[in-house]
Amino acid sequence: MPEIIVKPSDLKELWEMLPGLPAARRYLAGGTDIVTADNAGAESSECWIDISGLPELAAIKETAGALFIGSGVKISEIENSKAARKWCPALAAAIPHFASPSLRNMATLGGNAANGSPCADGVCALVAEGAYVLLALKGKKRRLPLRELFLGPKRTALKKDELILAFEIPKRPHAGVYLKLGPRAYFGISKAAVALTAELSGGTIKRAVVALGSVAPVPLLAVKTSAWLAGRQLSPQTAAAAAAMVKAEVSPITDTRSEAQYRREMCGVLLERALGGLR
Amino acid sequence: MNNKNMLEAKKGFFDITLTINGEFLELAVKNGEFLLDALRRHGWKSVKKGCDTGDCGSCTVLLDGKPVLGCLVPAVTAHGRAVTTIEGLGTVRKPHALQEAFVAAGAVQCGFCIPGMILSSKALLDAVPAPTEAEIRKALDGNLCRCTGYVKQVEAVKNAAKKLAGKRRA
Ligand SMILES: Cc1cc2nc3c(=O)[nH]c(=O)nc-3n(C[C@H](O)[C@H](O)[C@H](O)COP(=O)(O)OP(=O)(O)OC[C@H]3O[C@@H](n4cnc5c(N)ncnc54)[C@H](O)[C@@H]3O)c2cc1C
Repeated sequence: MPEIIVKPSDLKELWEMLPGLPAARRYLAGGTDIVTADNAGAESSECWIDISGLPELAAIKETAGALFIGSGVKISEIENSKAARKWCPALAAAIPHFASPSLRNMATLGGNAANGSPCADGVCALVAEGAYVLLALKGKKRRLPLRELFLGPKRTALKKDELILAFEIPKRPHAGVYLKLGPRAYFGISKAAVALTAELSGGTIKRAVVALGSVAPVPLLAVKTSAWLAGRQLSPQTAAAAAAMVKAEVSPITDTRSEAQYRREMCGVLLERALGGLR
Repeated sequence: MNNKNMLEAKKGFFDITLTINGEFLELAVKNGEFLLDALRRHGWKSVKKGCDTGDCGSCTVLLDGKPVLGCLVPAVTAHGRAVTTIEGLGTVRKPHALQEAFVAAGAVQCGFCIPGMILSSKALLDAVPAPTEAEIRKALDGNLCRCTGYVKQVEAVKNAAKKLAGKRRA
């Protein structure tokens, strides 16, 4: 752990203090990833910038067209937000699968994204929700489709000192499902996960987005399968065909958590179940 | 830079101020130390050191009223905040309803997981005074017990909730 910890009280103060800080510095939000990395000897900053006191990152807000979830919002706060449950049903469905209640009181959505892990449950769900990410570096702001933030395992498009401000989710009534296959029913990093959002009209899928976790170098948007689903009847045949298609879109690896072939098969199984669970 | 926002380790220690079990205190915490280890070093031995990786829940404490894992909280970040350990809940002479209920239900075997489990239960009952069994199980999801099958702890939380509701009515 570094010997210098700074805690700015708002964004203005953060941008003002940056030039005076050691060059090897990182943001500290809930700490659950950075501390784990530090314990494993994989973190060597001279300074941590504790952003947990920044009011600009702390809120869930709504406008007429979108929901904004601040990057500093704790996972447990999303769980308790009616607006988030309404507009982000896949994210809401992911939360019970996200670590444990006490961890959810610490972990933030911003950290889940900035950490750049392909296993990140919150991020995988948000990709399926069609979220954008809002970034700031001093006066400069930008807005990216969330999936463009991820370049590879632990690699993101964030520039040095660039801060995730919030996630923007377009308000569009839809159904959402999140299925995670881990070492046990709850509490564990996934072997494979599927997030599905869909707009239904009678028995027809008007629009669907399929995102997958832990089966590619980044949280994966299944572009082909999502496009193919649009306009189809919701039926066991459609689900089986989509399952076959998604297995060709993923690129899992074998690691300590699971094997590539098993993961690929499970993507099909999970998507078939997710489509079956749509209402 | 504004110094009120900067904590710098001097000779390997940070001086922080925080509230522990309702008492406002100054604490010297080591650079690199976690809240779990700092609390134990200063005498709050109820906070148990189990896995040290955020998995087992035996280091659970309440930070500003919410359960967190002491093994993942850099002690220095507790500066200005309020910590509750089970020492702050009740004593042997004057136990909290949850402590009584755990004893009465025989929910304690080796006891290692119990402080964390009771603190998670306390946060649950503060937010949801009459929880369902599913809500209790969910709240205790991150508190692993290797002795029991969780049945008696769940029972104890239900009983404590009833008792606390009775006290509120009285
Ligand atoms: C026991 C355990 C179980 C876990 N289980 C799960 C699980 O089931 N599912 C899951 O998805 N994850 C899980 N995690 C991983 C972790 O909890 C999450 O990824 C969490 O969301 C990280 O958020 P944080 O606030 O703790 O991030 P931190 O550790 O504070 O930060 C992580 C990284 O993001 C950067 N960062 C943080 N916030 C910002 C920001 N606003 N802008 C720019 N950069 C930022 C930091 O500099 C750091 O590099 C688990 C972790 C542990 C220890």
